[in-house]
Amino acid sequence: MATKVIMPKVDMDQATGTVVEWLKQDGDSVRAGEPILVIETDKVAIEVEAPATGILRGISAKPGDVIPIATTIAYILEPGEALPADEMPAPAPAAAPPPLEPPSLGGEVLATPVARNVAAGSGLDLGAVAGTGPRGKVTRADVEAALAGRPTAPAGDGRVYATPAARRLAREQNVDLRAVSGSGPKGRVQAADVLATAQAATAAPTPAPMPVAASASLTDLEVIPLQGMRRTIAERMTASYQSIPHITFTVRVDMTRFNEAREQLNAKAQATGGERISATAMIVKAVASTLTRHPFLNASLQGEEIHLRREINVGVAVALDEGLIVPVIRGADRKGVAEIAAEVNDLSTRAREGRLVPSDVSGGTFTVSNLGPFGVEQFTAIINPPQSAILAVGATQLEAIPDEDGHITARPIMRITLSADHRIVDGAVAARFISDLKMVLETPVLLSW
Amino acid sequence: MTLSSEKTLTKTEAAHLLLQMYQVRAFEEQAEKSYMEGKIHGTMHLSIGQEASAVGSISTLEPTDYIIGHHRGHGLCIAKGADLNLMMAEFYGKETGYCRGRGGSMHIADQAGGNLGANGVVGGGIPMAVGIGIGLKMQGQNRVLLAFFGDGAASTGAFHESMTLAVLFQVPVVFICENNQYAMSFPAHRWTTSERLARSAELYGMPGVAVDGNDLLAVRAAVQLAVDRARSGGGPSLVVNDTYRWRGHSKSDRNRYRTQDEIAEWQAKDPIPRFQNTLIAQGLITEEEARQIREQAYADIEAARQFAEASPEPLLETIEEGVYAP
Amino acid sequence: MTVREISYLEAVREAMTQEMERDERVFLIGEDLGTYGGAFQVTYGMLEKFGPERILDTPITELGLTGAAVGAALIGMRPIAEIMFMDFMTLASEQLVNQAAKLRFMFGGKATVPMVIRTPAGSGTGAAEHHSQSLENWFVHVPGLKVVMPSTPYDVKGLLIASIRDDNPVVFVEHKLLYKVKGPVPEEPYTIPLGSAEVKREGRDLTIIATSIMVPRSLEAAEELAKEGIEVEVVDPRTLKPLDAETIIESVKKTGRVLIVHEAARTGGFGGELAAVIAESEAFGYLDAPIVRLAGRDMPIPYNRMLEYHTVPQVENIVEKAREVAQLRV
Repeated sequence: MATKVIMPKVDMDQATGTVVEWLKQDGDSVRAGEPILVIETDKVAIEVEAPATGILRGISAKPGDVIPIATTIAYILEPGEALPADEMPAPAPAAAPPPLEPPSLGGEVLATPVARNVAAGSGLDLGAVAGTGPRGKVTRADVEAALAGRPTAPAGDGRVYATPAARRLAREQNVDLRAVSGSGPKGRVQAADVLATAQAATAAPTPAPMPVAASASLTDLEVIPLQGMRRTIAERMTASYQSIPHITFTVRVDMTRFNEAREQLNAKAQATGGERISATAMIVKAVASTLTRHPFLNASLQGEEIHLRREINVGVAVALDEGLIVPVIRGADRKGVAEIAAEVNDLSTRAREGRLVPSDVSGGTFTVSNLGPFGVEQFTAIINPPQSAILAVGATQLEAIPDEDGHITARPIMRITLSADHRIVDGAVAARFISDLKMVLETPVLLSW
Repeated sequence: MTLSSEKTLTKTEAAHLLLQMYQVRAFEEQAEKSYMEGKIHGTMHLSIGQEASAVGSISTLEPTDYIIGHHRGHGLCIAKGADLNLMMAEFYGKETGYCRGRGGSMHIADQAGGNLGANGVVGGGIPMAVGIGIGLKMQGQNRVLLAFFGDGAASTGAFHESMTLAVLFQVPVVFICENNQYAMSFPAHRWTTSERLARSAELYGMPGVAVDGNDLLAVRAAVQLAVDRARSGGGPSLVVNDTYRWRGHSKSDRNRYRTQDEIAEWQAKDPIPRFQNTLIAQGLITEEEARQIREQAYADIEAARQFAEASPEPLLETIEEGVYAP
Repeated sequence: MTVREISYLEAVREAMTQEMERDERVFLIGEDLGTYGGAFQVTYGMLEKFGPERILDTPITELGLTGAAVGAALIGMRPIAEIMFMDFMTLASEQLVNQAAKLRFMFGGKATVPMVIRTPAGSGTGAAEHHSQSLENWFVHVPGLKVVMPSTPYDVKGLLIASIRDDNPVVFVEHKLLYKVKGPVPEEPYTIPLGSAEVKREGRDLTIIATSIMVPRSLEAAEELAKEGIEVEVVDPRTLKPLDAETIIESVKKTGRVLIVHEAARTGGFGGELAAVIAESEAFGYLDAPIVRLAGRDMPIPYNRMLEYHTVPQVENIVEKAREVAQLRV
């Protein structure tokens, strides 16, 4: 029976062996265990022994051939035996491995795939770029250097030196990082800088156009550069006012029963040592509760989609020396008014002390701005993107109100004004919300505080 | 030859030992063949020529005794009663192997069968042997451990520390040095001899003896004495089996450090025909029975090969299994 | 449950004693454990209680005794080996890294090595280059090992008992300067699960992640900083591997600022691993400053006392660095 002589595997990582020299020739008698062939792996030679006794025939590999392991390269036959007829001779030795670099085609610029991509993305002609890679190949660095020499389009978000927290907040709050001035080391944009930008847009007085001041001599002017929080507010106000069609609705709220409820709640709070319950806290609670029935007022237009937010996170505008900030009461519909009051107090305090952290001011879905303490009867607020509505709360004052019989009585009246995004909130929707809210405020027993 | 131990072989035992020697030889040859055909990956360290040392030593053990071995330990596994199918499957890296294909030739073990494992570090098992001995003593079940290593390990610090601790703790361990004359390419005779190694044991404080490692009965007799000593609380011993490996250190070995003549000289002292002829001369088996035993061994290995080749590879999803105990 | 003040060292002794009383498979092996009572007196009195059959003294044989622990564990015992100084883990490493860590996996999941190797680490005693190192990160890097580094008497007892009961090889790193520190420890045996970090102090402004001796130093620094209105949260991983990443990530999300403090040399130290874990996680989007490491200088521990002091982070270094990070000046 014919015994195959194979190219053996002798090393751990060996795929081929090279034939160096046949020690026995075709037709020679060989004994099992006798060296018949010298092969080479890793530049070192090793002898291969005959696997059987017989005649060596059918040698199909010559010195210099590189043969994959386990390939048959000869046979040992018994006397008179013929070579196995249906066995093909060993395949031609493996071709030399292809060169690693495809040769550059005539006329085509030699460049790395990355360089090509970057150049194509910027409309740059690769032929105009000097290549510093091997054999003059154009690398990514070469393309970028070429691009840097051109007047650049405005850098995207990736070029702003900002912290990961700042970037995340900018994404969440739809703030353009390029417009945020950074207070961190080397002008790095920190989370607080983004927050200031994000919250600056709310609850400012209506932007009645200021008459252009008559020109005066320069000594009359005090010039304040528009930067930091102020700049941010300016940009945000403009953006909101220009892009969101605001519709506004005012209702007068009779605060008689509301005030009574407030007294009762505060009496209880005092007795149990709880936080003082402010009107603002109660208003936040009432608003949050009402929003559960009017989802489009707790929504946001994002591109082609209206996002109805399940979480009701009510922001409360707090005035600061340098501007405005709006800390957020999360899940206000699920919290009791005592809890809300405590949060409002804590957040206001920390806001004024500059100790708010990112989570305090992010994620708001509706804003309440209360200028009542300043005596303002009524005002219109600008919506705080990406929200779809904002409530401006005026002062509570005694007014002469006729009752059902026409008798004039003095009642405490508060005017609240809703501004809503007309792209997603229709007049009727807004009207239903505000009248529902009025009812809740006038009938506190409807709410569980 | 004179047996210094009381135990003599029965016909059944003798036939079994001869079968094991042939199984070791056949296994090694098949492993080599599969390797050269590219079916087994990595490398392997063949013990062809050392069969008497493995089979003779382990023939002295009870099934509940233990062995711990080294990287040239296929013969040790077989002598300890390994399932040939599971062994071959392990070599092929298959899921059905003893170590689920994760260990391969150098790291094979059969915990349930009392084979505490081969080792890829020369001398790696010797310190563990001391600890196993300590544990066996604490467990109080009169079990012994045979701890195998080569002349290569005898020069390590691990060997020295282990001899020291073994005597200190009087562990029930028989240390067996299979001196096959080379630590990879370094000739043992350049720094020691089997006799000197045996005497060094005495300097540590345990009995040491050197025997002709290719004479199965001599190996068996020497190890039996040591095993009895260990089992009866007499502490550790060292047995040095003077033997030879026909093949190179590993598959990449070009054998440049020794001559073909030397190899041929030792091949003439092949332990298998030596044992076989002794058995036939003593009338324990016949020529025909010997031939059948040989045939059986090769058939067993062929069955193992088929089992291994038909076995499945491990599943990729299980790649990280077994790193930690739960 | 009776809680009383004992030292970290006494807590270690108590853990081992109670486990040895509970489980006859537990034994000790190491140098000078017996009559000497242990180099730091940790095993004082244990020879008298358990006898030489279970308190195994050895000559100088780190490799041998570690291997012996591996072998004994392999056949079902539960040894606790001691390497007198972490510096000498170098000698034990062959048996720990190549054998203990790998046997289970190598043998297809069919072997178990339930051993603990305890070792005192750290500088501050003037013992200099060869008796002062912190090499824990070497062993964190080896798959198959667990690495524990407790910082208080309460933690060390619970974690050591848990380590003894764990079926894997555990490297248990004690700090020499912690041995005399006292703290409340329950009398009864109890366990703290491996792989659970602890927030040792809550705060809003900065997260300090500290290990071993750096935990008490960071807590002291935190008290200082509180006076300036900076509230520091101190997180103690307790187990380096497996790491409780979740606790760390939650803390970083809360504060947005991280300072990692460890004694071991900065380059290649555990701090790099922690920084990567944080940066790869959800916490990345909450970082308002770079992750900063405060660690030992990249140098051997010198003998001169003043130099030794300034080689590793001290309380004042932690205060200064923490302030810098909290105030976003990094």
